[in-house]
Amino acid sequence: QELTFLSKQEILLAYKRFSELLPKEQRENACSARVPKSRILTLPELRANPFQHRICHVFSTSDDGDDSMSFEDFLDMLSVFSDSATSDIKSHYAFRIFDFDDDGTLDRKDLEKLVNCLTGQGEESRLSGAEMEQLIQNILEESDIDKDGTINMSEFQHVVSRSPDFASSFKIVL
Amino acid sequence: FFHGFYAEETLVGNLASMSTSERIKAIQKMPETMKKKREIRNKVLKEITKKSRHRSTQLCCCTQCLQGIAVSFRRFGNSLSEYFHLLQLQYKTLKVIGAEFGTSVLSYFIFLKWLLTFNIFSFLINFGFLTIPQFLAAEPNNLSFTGLELLTGAGYFQQTVLYYGFYTNATISKIKNGPSYNMQLAYIFTVGLYFVICFLILLFSMAKSFCRNFINPQAHSGNASKLLCTWDFNITNEKAVKLKQKNLSTQIKEDLFEVNREVLSFSVRERVVCIAVHFASWVASLGTALAACAGVYFLSTNNLKLFVKGHRNDLESQAAMLVLPVVTSLLNAFIPFFYSWLGRLERFHTPGQHIYVTIARNIILKISIVGILCYYWLNIVAASESQCWETLVGQDIYRLIVVDFLFCLLGSFFGEFLRRIIGTTVCVNLGLPEFDIGRNVLDLIYAQTLTWIGILFSPLMPGIQIIAFSIVFCVKKVSLMKNCQPPRKVWRTAQMTTSFMFLLFFPSFLGVLSVIGVTVWRLKPSDECGPFRGLSSMYAAVSEWIEILENYTASKWVVWIYHNLITSELFFFILSTSILIIAYLYWQIIEGRKIMIKHLHKQIIN
Repeated sequence: QELTFLSKQEILLAYKRFSELLPKEQRENACSARVPKSRILTLPELRANPFQHRICHVFSTSDDGDDSMSFEDFLDMLSVFSDSATSDIKSHYAFRIFDFDDDGTLDRKDLEKLVNCLTGQGEESRLSGAEMEQLIQNILEESDIDKDGTINMSEFQHVVSRSPDFASSFKIVL
Repeated sequence: FFHGFYAEETLVGNLASMSTSERIKAIQKMPETMKKKREIRNKVLKEITKKSRHRSTQLCCCTQCLQGIAVSFRRFGNSLSEYFHLLQLQYKTLKVIGAEFGTSVLSYFIFLKWLLTFNIFSFLINFGFLTIPQFLAAEPNNLSFTGLELLTGAGYFQQTVLYYGFYTNATISKIKNGPSYNMQLAYIFTVGLYFVICFLILLFSMAKSFCRNFINPQAHSGNASKLLCTWDFNITNEKAVKLKQKNLSTQIKEDLFEVNREVLSFSVRERVVCIAVHFASWVASLGTALAACAGVYFLSTNNLKLFVKGHRNDLESQAAMLVLPVVTSLLNAFIPFFYSWLGRLERFHTPGQHIYVTIARNIILKISIVGILCYYWLNIVAASESQCWETLVGQDIYRLIVVDFLFCLLGSFFGEFLRRIIGTTVCVNLGLPEFDIGRNVLDLIYAQTLTWIGILFSPLMPGIQIIAFSIVFCVKKVSLMKNCQPPRKVWRTAQMTTSFMFLLFFPSFLGVLSVIGVTVWRLKPSDECGPFRGLSSMYAAVSEWIEILENYTASKWVVWIYHNLITSELFFFILSTSILIIAYLYWQIIEGRKIMIKHLHKQIIN
């Protein structure tokens, strides 16, 4: 409990939900088992979230790259998304979630994928090419302080700190 | 690899030298996986035991004791907060609302819950300190109970603990020469203490909210923060997610379009027309507010004449007493529609301006209605020849609250339920109604203002409001789930919550404080009823008590505090001047920091 922002109650609840995801044989040693990504995504809190794949990828510590999560990864995720997590840690992980190519900065391609995730895949809600260009241009103008064409971690955290809604919307509670 | 290892050593060293709670917080804050954090923590603990083995001879038992106390204290605090979580009612409900509709609608329900806790606190202390002693010294009630009292608050209720008039002015003592309970002092101190505590709570929550939500050094927050930070991870319903995505994309397209549009150069004629339209609609709205006030005033003076002329308790006069509250609630319900229609006629630069102007007009309307009612109560009812004017005022407030509550339920029924039926069957273009957060919050603030005014005249008023608010919570929740759709525009939740709290504090609470102040200091309580009968003002009870205390040497310090701090103008003058000086200094510091931010900004670019 000392390692996360969750309370004892929340950890027990998380344990219950996590073991429900496992097949019956593995439930006793739920602490060491890994749950494949497809089953994690059946959780109602993640099911409809457009960033579900990125969330699983960022928090998974599996070595084979299959994005499966152990109980500790699950707790890590819940801890970052909990109410008591600091804004710093939330923005740190938000940056990693939005960084689609995992290169440590948000360049134009990352931003494009981000906007597409936010607006959905339907035909009518997708932005056209020109609109996308302009939007990304506006974003970079505002947030890229050192004008290198990408948004790095500190610039992202600076932008996030100006928006007080971030902490309350970057939250998933079981 | 070596560099990473060295960094870890310094980290472990730093952590080992911190106190336990700081260390826990620092480890929690590290953005690493749990495995890594556990390794670091074990290393740190090893370091600490190594260090403490070196220093074990120096650790006196005092420090050990303190450490043990600190550890058990922390464990106690942890388990206490767990139990507190168990008691959190409506937790699941709020989560479901947030999941389907987002945090903006959730903020309304959280605000309602917050107001409910104010009322529960007030009810508990009033009941404990005022009503229970009164029960011990109660007089029998001769009037009969008919069902209509629930609506009108008169009749049977007049002689119960509900109203000010029933409270005795004696010092109650059940046992001869036993401890006595001075009802006058109890009344004034309970009410006063409650308002002081409310004031402090509101002030601190507002300050905290301002601190968190208004760090905005630049003029506009712009697209980037809106985009990168608005995804509400709370939403779990698929349909709601799709809807939010559609809304977000529409909004982005609109924003881009607005920026792209050439700055329309209004011709002089168009600008004049625009200003004239704004001016006309402001005149119209202020005129309606004034007309509403005049109507309320006229009706209430009529009411008083009716009441003082004859004390008939029959159905007709009871029904006549209900006319004023019904008319007030009707005005409160329908004039806002007129204002939003006016708002649609005008052309605003941004939709945000539209919302703010409409809310401002509604606030002016509600403040003027409450203001005119207070004026009527304090100047006319207090000076009238009725037997017990405070009970009259209490009854008026009771009726207003009950009728307002009924209208709120009706409004929910018509506004949301019927509108949904119309929107889905008869006129499909309209669609589902949206939950109008602004208007609902203003209704809540209005009801709470009435309750606060009513506390002095009817100590159990918060209890009635608790029942009303709980029912409103359930009804609104059910209506929301069944009838409404998620809001279309991105509503800046944090700023709005701060503005609601500010509205609650500034016109509402301070207005109530001034009304209560005038009542306690200036008005003469009625001669035949209530705890202050026979005194020249309610405050005279305190001055008399201080005079009695002067005769006892043990309590000279209380008298000294009273004369030199509370009643002396010099003290307040010095206090206000020092607060102003401190505020000015802080303002200058903020300005200086803004300049520094600009310099640093330029430095980073270069």
